[in-house]
Amino acid sequence: MRGLTHVYRGKPVLSIDRLDLPRGGIIGVIGPNGSGKSTFLRLAGFVERPTAGEVLFDGKPAAPFAPEVRNRVTLLPQEPFLMKRTVLNNVAYGLRIRKASDHLAERVDKALSYVGLDGKDFAQRPSYALSGGEAQRVALAARLVLKPEVLLMDEPTASIDALSAQLIKDAVLKARRDWGTTLIVASHDWQWLYGICDTVFHLLKGRFLGTGRENILFGPWERVENGQWGKRLADGQQLLVPKPPEALAAAVIENVTIMPQAEPVSGAAGQVTLSGLITRLALEKASGSIVVSVLVANLPFTATLTEHQVRNHELYPGRMVAIRYNLNSVKWV
Amino acid sequence: MDFLLQGLLKAFELLTTIDPETFSAVYATLVVSAYSLAVTLALGLPLGFCLGYFEFTFKKQVRVVVDTLLSLPTVFIGLVVYAFFTNRGPLGEWGLLFTLSGIAVGLTILALPIVVALGATAVESMDRQLRVTLISLGANRQQLFLSTLWESRHGIIAAALTAYGRVMTEVGIAMMVGGNIKWQTRTITTAIALETNKGEFAMGIALGLVLLMIAFGVNVSVSFLRKRY
Repeated sequence: MRGLTHVYRGKPVLSIDRLDLPRGGIIGVIGPNGSGKSTFLRLAGFVERPTAGEVLFDGKPAAPFAPEVRNRVTLLPQEPFLMKRTVLNNVAYGLRIRKASDHLAERVDKALSYVGLDGKDFAQRPSYALSGGEAQRVALAARLVLKPEVLLMDEPTASIDALSAQLIKDAVLKARRDWGTTLIVASHDWQWLYGICDTVFHLLKGRFLGTGRENILFGPWERVENGQWGKRLADGQQLLVPKPPEALAAAVIENVTIMPQAEPVSGAAGQVTLSGLITRLALEKASGSIVVSVLVANLPFTATLTEHQVRNHELYPGRMVAIRYNLNSVKWV
Repeated sequence: MDFLLQGLLKAFELLTTIDPETFSAVYATLVVSAYSLAVTLALGLPLGFCLGYFEFTFKKQVRVVVDTLLSLPTVFIGLVVYAFFTNRGPLGEWGLLFTLSGIAVGLTILALPIVVALGATAVESMDRQLRVTLISLGANRQQLFLSTLWESRHGIIAAALTAYGRVMTEVGIAMMVGGNIKWQTRTITTAIALETNKGEFAMGIALGLVLLMIAFGVNVSVSFLRKRY
């Protein structure tokens, strides 16, 4: 993507100066609701044209309906949507419009098996007779049957049952293994993303921030003790930040460190120390690091540690720890 | 209540003995409704689809006009068509006044806004994800258009059925433009109106039953097609 801006009803929803997505990789996109993830995927999937800028494929500018992307890039939207047809006709649609109808039934059966559905049982079912999880799996099968070069997925495991979610996760990884499909996944399930992705991007208010490890805290902000700015947390602690540009600005806090003490130890001037509870440990596939989640009052923080550090500090879910960050490392969005 | 019962019995007699006057009205109705519906669907379905599918300047205003035309009084349409087709009117030399063709023109004007408005609504009410799904599965513009048309088929059929029901049961236009001429332009509905005024309930009931049977037959056929497709 180059110089890309997308405006919706007069409001800019996405702004990307330059973004390169490597072929054959698994790229994760993480961000809160309304951050622009779905818009990004629709533009990257050549479903919509950006208001300004260009989206390239294999180094060449491309647009929706262009033959060079139409049969190679596919998007699985967040809400499972199937046409008013049988499962077989839904899955076979892409093959039929490509006039690739040879061995249709076999190929549909195989695609359904990727997502854990028995073709004999499901092929003739009308789309309205499927559960939400089954519908999403059939929608994915309709994409996998095309063996796409790029598969984009918008929250593929949201709002569906755990079994369907696992089957979908397995199916997309199989596509990557067997056909070298490039996967671009937007998800709230950061544990899954960190576990499978080569790169994770953090999207906030239509802009890419970084690697997804940033801690993002939302306003409103207020004056707390000593004239400083911050929030009064539910457990009585005070989260401090530099003066915000506006009351509702989002604070991005990087480089959070974790200390094994349960009681917060005062740090040097300009440092903020808070007490919290470890809720989760997750392995980040790309780097081999451990992402540690800590809940401070009702605010989630993450920090990345090496396996050695986690082992030495004896960190585990349920343990009280202290987190620390520098005030001058807080950026505003 | 006796006269109603006698009317019902007489109605069955008229139908089973294939009373010529009764069936003349049935024939006239079938002819005008078939012609008017054919033209209405040929014009109205594409217009309705385009109105619902495409974005263009003044789309909202066009929609308001079409929705307003849904409320056109039938006698007003009859009056305007009469005025055009009368000898002094601009289309008087076409000789369509007091003919089945003239009635069909009036019924087309009545039914067209129904098909356009309801067809547009059927397309607009399609899930937005349909477009995303079709494009992401590789549809080109033509395939996107045809697939959207197919996916909105149930709504479009409902639009056509609504128009058909309106056309079949219309009285004002048929009376004013057709003249209710026996053996010529007397339709089921104008015949019912006339016979009721004369106190001849039997024929009115008979014709009403025929109307119901036609409507029932059409709906059963459509229901069969909907289940199949």
